[in-house]
This record gives sequence, structure tokens and C-alpha cells, in this order.
Amino acid sequence: MDFVTLGGDLLGTIPLGDIVLYINPFNLFLFAVLLGFTFLIAISKPETQVEASKFNTLGVAEVKVDEKEFRQRRFLSIICGIASAGAMITGDLFNFTLFMALVGILNIGIVSAVKQTSVLNSAFNYGLIAMMCSLPLFGGAAIILASTGTLSLAVLSQMPASPMVVFGAILMLIGILGESGVAPFFASKAEMFRTPGSPFIVIIHLSSLFIIVRAVEILLLVLW
Amino acid sequence: MRIGVLWNKLADPKNIPRLFAFSLGIILIVGLIVPMALNPDQLYPRPAPQEQIDEGLAIAPYDRGGEVLVAPGEINPQYPDNAASLGMITGYMSPLAQWISSISPYFGTSIYSSPGGLIDEILYYTRGFDTILESSILMMSFIIASWLSVNYTMNRKNDEDEIKKDFKKAITDSTHVANEVKANDIKARSKQLRRDN
Repeated sequence: MDFVTLGGDLLGTIPLGDIVLYINPFNLFLFAVLLGFTFLIAISKPETQVEASKFNTLGVAEVKVDEKEFRQRRFLSIICGIASAGAMITGDLFNFTLFMALVGILNIGIVSAVKQTSVLNSAFNYGLIAMMCSLPLFGGAAIILASTGTLSLAVLSQMPASPMVVFGAILMLIGILGESGVAPFFASKAEMFRTPGSPFIVIIHLSSLFIIVRAVEILLLVLW
Repeated sequence: MRIGVLWNKLADPKNIPRLFAFSLGIILIVGLIVPMALNPDQLYPRPAPQEQIDEGLAIAPYDRGGEVLVAPGEINPQYPDNAASLGMITGYMSPLAQWISSISPYFGTSIYSSPGGLIDEILYYTRGFDTILESSILMMSFIIASWLSVNYTMNRKNDEDEIKKDFKKAITDSTHVANEVKANDIKARSKQLRRDN
């Protein structure tokens, strides 16, 4: 499918050597929204959760995020936002998978300082999936490159899909499914959110949402 | 099995990597029957296998030709008009790399070197700005991953008790090993003695 049909009129291209970023309203909107969210997260403070920890008495405990952890999480979530914004606007299949892998590592990083065992356990399981995902992600991109000889999305969208391209796209799809944690692989990623520090935890969710939308566009471009 | 039981199993993070690995394995097995053929029209033209090795080139199989700032190497850019000087530094090697390639015929197959490196295409200036972008994304991931492991996986400043315990364990282990080595030594000596007599 042509990217003009999918994302609206071509507003312009940014030629960077062999990568040509094409800008159409769809990509630009995703990019701008994600950068806006990243900015909001960058200036926000973490929330404090109140837990009714003692059962019989009315004692409550505050679950706080300390200063060092807060700074680290903020840094990682800003990078995560920028990486996902890059994945929104990139015009190169391989760069998309690279951004995707970076987002996966950052997602683990954001929750790595949490002191709840269940969260760390699910982060570990998510890490296993993220490691496995590098095979289908990069392998899928490599198979598409081998069968078409190009990685540029603008050129790929004009090419007819051969069985090899379809297989590469399916491989990429399963990599994206695992890395962004959608059904049926949601449990490990969903458990990672159950921790205080919400504005930074939210970027984990947000980045996977946006990347799924962009991945659908890319798969349509490649396959149709 | 009822579907509810299945969903409950899916809600356990421990089962997810297994499920993922299983489905990935199935897709890879399906991939064995997909017809695969390399399109000869590639962005990174490569000589036929063994061709450069038979010719005896110093950095085979990764010799891309070209002379730094004089003549471009063998590249096939997607958009040639975007970067006019593309390929001009494809043939660049650091002085160290030049020296090693002058004394060793295996330089091209080693991964520490610039030609024939792990991310060979990226290290050469063959794709313009992409060269910088791709390797910086990759470097970012490596930096973050190593930073995480240094600060969390390997950081043990806060658990002194565990360190003490591990010290004790290491000491007993090494004494154990030393004793075993001694016993084996004595056994071997007596065997040798018996054989000599």
C-alpha cells in the first residue's frame, strides 16, 4: 500500500543519505504527540502511593520513590519517549527495529530500581522475551532486505510482496508483539506497571501503544 | 480444558517466555518451507563467496575497494543524489588496522577490526547519515544495558552480609578444591611409583 493512501498527503521528505524520512500527517501527528507526552513526563514529579499495610490497625504506609531513583527513571523515560518518537517518523525498516530494541531495554531499565519482588520478577521475564525478540525483529528485517534488496519504506511500499517478504513480515510481527507485550504475551509486561512512580511507568505503556500503531502501518506498507 | 483456566495460565508472567518461545519456534519451522531466494540487486554488493580469498587480498572477504578521499568504493546507494561523496571513505582503515592487515592474511575475518567487523555495513561510510544514526541507536542500547548491569546486577554495595557469606563459601570451596587436588596428586604419584617399580 502506498504511504499516501495510509497516512495522508506527503508533506515533505528529509533526505539523510540513504535514509529518507517521509513526513505525512499521520507520522507527524504520532511524532508530535509522543514528544509532547515526553515533555510532560520530563517536567512531572512522581506520585506517592498510600498503602493500607497493617490489616487490623488503621496504619497506612507511603510508598515513595527516592530522589536518586526518581532522577534515573526520569532520564530513562525521556530517552524512551525520544526513541519511540524516532520509531514513529523513521523511514527505514532497520532503524525501526533498532528503535524497538532500544525501547525494550529502556522499559526494563525504568522498573529495574523497584524494590517489589513481583515487579522485578515480571521484568526479568519480560527481559527474556525482549532477548528472544531480537531474533525475529532483526531476522525479519534481514529477510525482507535479502528478498527485496532495500530497507527504505518508501521503496518497499511500491514493491509487490513475495512469500519471503510475507514471512519476514510475520517474523517482525511476532517480534513486535513480544517486545510491546500485547496479547497473548501481556502478563509479564502488565505486571511491571504495578509499582509507584506513575508518570514514568506510563511511558512503558505509551511507547508500546504507539509502536503497535506504527508497526501496523509499516506492515501494511510492506505487504500491500 | 476451559478457556478460563487457559487465561489464568496466561496471566502468570513465568509462563509467558515459554509461550513466546514456543510460538516463535513454530513460526521458524514454518519458515523452512517458505521459498527463499537472495535478490541479487542489493544495497551492499558482495563478491561471490571465496572469490577474494582465492585472489589473496589482505582484508578478504571484506575488501570493498576504493581509495580514501580519491575514489569511492563498491557501493550501491538507494538514493545516490542525496550524498554525492558517498563511499569516499569506505576504504578507510586505522593505522593499527593497516599494520595488522599487512602482517596477517586473516584480518578480514576478525571481529575486532574495522573491516569485517560485527556491524560491517555500519562502520563503513556507505549509507550517509544512516551510518551515524544506526550505530548511535545501537550504542545507546549497549550503554543503557551495561549501565543497568553495572548499577543493579553487579552492584553489591548494599548487601554486606551476603558478601561475607559468599566469602566464607568461597574459602571453604577453595580449601575443598585444594584438598581434592592434593588427594588426586597423591593418587597419581603412587600409581606412577607402582608403574616404575
